[in-house]
Amino acid sequence: MRPSQLRSRLTDSPLTDPVVLVELFALSNIAFLALDVGFAHLINTFAHPAEWVPVGFSLIAPIVLVAAMVIGGIHPTLANQGSGQRRIARYLGLSMGWGAIIVGIAGLLLHLRSAFFGEQTLANLVYTAPFVAPLSYTGIGFLLLLNRMVVATSLEWARWVVLLALGGFVGNFVLTLADHAQNGFFQPSEWIGVVASAWAVSSLCAVLIYPRDNPLLLMAAVMMVAQMGVGVLGAYFHVMADLRASAPRLVDRFLYGAPLFAPLLFADLAMLALVALWAVARSKASLVPDSPILIEAFTAK
Amino acid sequence: MSFRGVFITIFLGTAMVVAAFMLNARRPASVKAQPTAAFVRATGKCAECHRQETSAVVHEFEMSRHSAMGVNCLDCHQVTKGQKALDHRGFTIAKTLTAANCQTCHPTEYQQFLRSRHAAPAWAAVSGKEGFTAEQIAFSETFHKGAVDRPANPLVAREGFAAVNKGCLKCHEVGKPNEDGSIGSCTACHARHASSVELARTPETCGACHMGPDHSQIEIYHESKHGILFNAQKAHFNLAARPKELTTKDMPVPTCATCHMSGLEGLKVSHDVTERLSYWLFAANSEKRPTYTQGQVNMKETCLKCHTTPRIETFYKEAEAVVDSTNGIVKQADEIIKKLREEKLLTAEPFDEPIEYLYFDLWHYFGRTAKHGAFMGGADFVQWHGFYELNAKIVELKRSAEEIRQAAKVKDLTKGKTEGEDASKPTSKPTD
Repeated sequence: MRPSQLRSRLTDSPLTDPVVLVELFALSNIAFLALDVGFAHLINTFAHPAEWVPVGFSLIAPIVLVAAMVIGGIHPTLANQGSGQRRIARYLGLSMGWGAIIVGIAGLLLHLRSAFFGEQTLANLVYTAPFVAPLSYTGIGFLLLLNRMVVATSLEWARWVVLLALGGFVGNFVLTLADHAQNGFFQPSEWIGVVASAWAVSSLCAVLIYPRDNPLLLMAAVMMVAQMGVGVLGAYFHVMADLRASAPRLVDRFLYGAPLFAPLLFADLAMLALVALWAVARSKASLVPDSPILIEAFTAK
Repeated sequence: MSFRGVFITIFLGTAMVVAAFMLNARRPASVKAQPTAAFVRATGKCAECHRQETSAVVHEFEMSRHSAMGVNCLDCHQVTKGQKALDHRGFTIAKTLTAANCQTCHPTEYQQFLRSRHAAPAWAAVSGKEGFTAEQIAFSETFHKGAVDRPANPLVAREGFAAVNKGCLKCHEVGKPNEDGSIGSCTACHARHASSVELARTPETCGACHMGPDHSQIEIYHESKHGILFNAQKAHFNLAARPKELTTKDMPVPTCATCHMSGLEGLKVSHDVTERLSYWLFAANSEKRPTYTQGQVNMKETCLKCHTTPRIETFYKEAEAVVDSTNGIVKQADEIIKKLREEKLLTAEPFDEPIEYLYFDLWHYFGRTAKHGAFMGGADFVQWHGFYELNAKIVELKRSAEEIRQAAKVKDLTKGKTEGEDASKPTSKPTD
């Protein structure tokens, strides 16, 4: 096979299409959250009935999204695009998107309610249930809506994905800061996640503002690869800390110790950001600005 | 690469990191400066759950000086030597808290407490020496001869577990031997979570146990001038003043703790509540303690904060006269019971005959009340709840003893007559 043929086959494959990758990212993340949230709420022994809601949603939503893919194809359907089955698929996807947004915002409020609304102090934010964590549902919800409301080949779509990945890293910054503050940053290595997420935010911010800057895109991509390393390193540190904990039962050490999956969010978001950066690069190549703001951005330099 | 892009990346990233450092630096040292990560987490994580369940303990703790000083949950709840550990949601805590936990920070107070009758003697007064180690018994016997190396109270067997467990022990467990080798529980007076010196200085705290007919100190206190003034003026007092800084400005009127324990204006603070006592007032016949002179000197130092020496001397002289007088009546009662036993008119088993209760009430209720009333300024308790009852009971006791003797004589006569009749009866059946 010639290189040109290979390139063509790769570009035509749905698995190399950013919108499909983002859709699969949303689907897999929402499914994985069932395990992650289930584990987290088990610490609380599901004391409040509402704690079952995200778990239930995470179990149902992937099934609905897969059903939508089966009905309407792997590419999300835009408004006024297709009819019949594709339209049903679109509505299923949109409803899951809205559902995720609602679950996320409700989760944020419920997490804060435990102490923060009483006193509104920084200490409350540190020791409350991780208040930013439920917003992961909101982020995924926005991705599902985005895929069905904006043309995926456009720069606008790519920049929205960059923004949502950036939002994820902002959440990571806050979570890492607050979670490690609970330990008083007892180990200096606990600052790694804070510093890494800060730099991830800043590099994605720069890309968001100057999407035409190729070296900047490359730098952001390198930064995202580094985030993957940070995620794996963090997971290693968390596992080791849990294994060294004093609880006699291994399951208790992981349940009440350092959260096993939290550092992997760095790698997870980095993957989304890499897809977004790729989409920015591709959309630039196609040169199809589709909004007045983007046209202005393209012609600014 | 555009300069703008590089600038944004570096400026924003650095700003976020610096902000994070600054935010963390603003946290109180009591939160960050801890020996382990678990101690840091305990400063807020425990409350996060316990605000949902047992929320009152969080609020109690928040009111405490411990909280103000940066002590956190794990400081008290950590496992100390000899204690069983409990894994609790990521924290390893002591299964049961005892005085051993308190003494890690307050060793002097604990040692003073150990020498007092609030420690081992309090528990042994009900349960005897069971549960104490040989060392603990020997230690306590040094200060309170016969108070721990003794059998359980005879009433325990008569009243049974339910009454003793829910009654006697609720007060006497202040000196309970703990599994970890320590004795007692500081929270009996200071309360859990509040850990309050103010609470320990409040008369009602002592009154929870020192009340009722057998030791009616709280009733006597409230009748006394001390109690009346305290109840009228307590809103203006600073009961939470630090023990070593307490002045008469904070508490111009004493409560139980002020006279028996407090370091009022430079006096030595003590958790040995016997240090300022001169008599065994709780005993049937009250003798002078071995530390009589020192005890009286110690107490008089406190009295001097409010009263002049002649007034104090008169007070002691009058109170000691009450002790002598009470002892005289109790000795009469002792003599009556002793003679009945010698005449074998009472069984060896305690508390199985009405006269034994009469005797017990005489010294245990009214004798004690008269003596405590005298030393605490409770005139009515010296007279109507004390001597009047003592006199009534001694008359009753004499009458009762006489009745027992009469009954025994009648019984002997009846027995003799029956035996005589039996002897006159034919021993063999008549034959036809």
